[in-house]
Amino acid sequence: MGNVSNNAYALTCLSPIKKGHYSGTAYSDEVRRRLQQWGLHEQSPMAKVPQTYLTRFFVLDDVYYESLPGTDFGGTWYDILSIFSDRFRRAALPKEDHLESKYLVWCCNLHGDMDTYLRAMWHSIGDDIRSLWEFCYGFEDVKGADTFVHYIKQCQLSASLFFVGSNDASLEEQLKGLYLKQEFSRFAAEHQGLPPAELQQAYRAFIERVQPQNLAGPSWRPGQSRP
Amino acid sequence: MSNIAGKAYAMNVITPIRWYMTWINKVIFLVAQKRPSTLNGLMTLSLIHYARWVIIGRNQFPHLSPQQPKEKLNYSYMLFFSNFNGSWAQYVDSFTFAIPSGLDLFWKWNIRYPKSVPLTPFHSYIQFNQIQTDHYYTAYPLAAANDVKAAKRVKTALIEFDTQFGNADPDQFFKQYKALLRGLQHDMGDMQPTPIISLAEQAKGH
Repeated sequence: MGNVSNNAYALTCLSPIKKGHYSGTAYSDEVRRRLQQWGLHEQSPMAKVPQTYLTRFFVLDDVYYESLPGTDFGGTWYDILSIFSDRFRRAALPKEDHLESKYLVWCCNLHGDMDTYLRAMWHSIGDDIRSLWEFCYGFEDVKGADTFVHYIKQCQLSASLFFVGSNDASLEEQLKGLYLKQEFSRFAAEHQGLPPAELQQAYRAFIERVQPQNLAGPSWRPGQSRP
Repeated sequence: MSNIAGKAYAMNVITPIRWYMTWINKVIFLVAQKRPSTLNGLMTLSLIHYARWVIIGRNQFPHLSPQQPKEKLNYSYMLFFSNFNGSWAQYVDSFTFAIPSGLDLFWKWNIRYPKSVPLTPFHSYIQFNQIQTDHYYTAYPLAAANDVKAAKRVKTALIEFDTQFGNADPDQFFKQYKALLRGLQHDMGDMQPTPIISLAEQAKGH
């Protein structure tokens, strides 16, 4: 399946937004406003959701197309035919599409199984989920973690290709690795030129402090924006 | 609104594709997925965290309620989502220079795709079809994709070194410690919120 690359999962979800107004603001604009109110980095609600690598939300108002002449299939053929009649030139123009609904698009790169992830998300940030999706069709049936999983699956689209350029380790592994990289780089820089015994003593103290194998121990926090 | 979270940039591109051509793209993507060697060109672009392509049939937009109007579209749509490091122009240009034929293969059947070379029409195509992100989150705003990969190597090597030589006699420890640093020299380095951690954060005055 295109959504899975080893232990990494690509969740893509389009939730149709109802037509209507909330305090004079269109539902879609209200959804966008709420999203933009969310905090950044460690303040984002998504920082509380376990196993979230990177994720984004946006409101899709409509579909768009690029209108400069491109390398369309049959383009040259239409160019020749348009010498004889203008209708061939018009036939080669792209048709104009517009969406009937606006959509809340959620694109998430996560570690592990989607059902487990969504349940943990519901339990971590249930209030934020309700606030964000409340104007979407079908969300009125969401009453708990199970119905949330069911709802998201109804909105889910399969990826045709998922490319992992980073790695698919658990988030705790990734954050611990980054913490160790940062701390060990500093240690190495700060302890240059020491005699072997003194260096080894400092190293032992360093290892005791950073606890390389302890994922629950000293590490970076999800969304940490300052070293 | 921000496409930027720390060192990551979120790109969303939606482009129309003739519905009767989507199967060609799906076959191309399937081959790419089944044979990872076909993505070697993409692997050379080490600035990418994660990327995906999603094709939505013109009748496949989620429909969840009888009250929701059904979409009446002429085209199917291809969505491209990428998480990368660096600026927009660096990313788009690196795609063009590193894998121009791969790009053309993936977008060839999209409406009015201008091809990846020359650059200016390709820039316009991406700009015209890009949608801004309303909320973007990364679990490690200080880290680039290369940092995440390097961190894994540092962690593995450090644990291995500690197990074998952490309690060795000082001279052997010293020798192996230097070997460890030599082996990790490309993976070490301080990660800082540079040059601008987030334009949105800056705008908020934090």
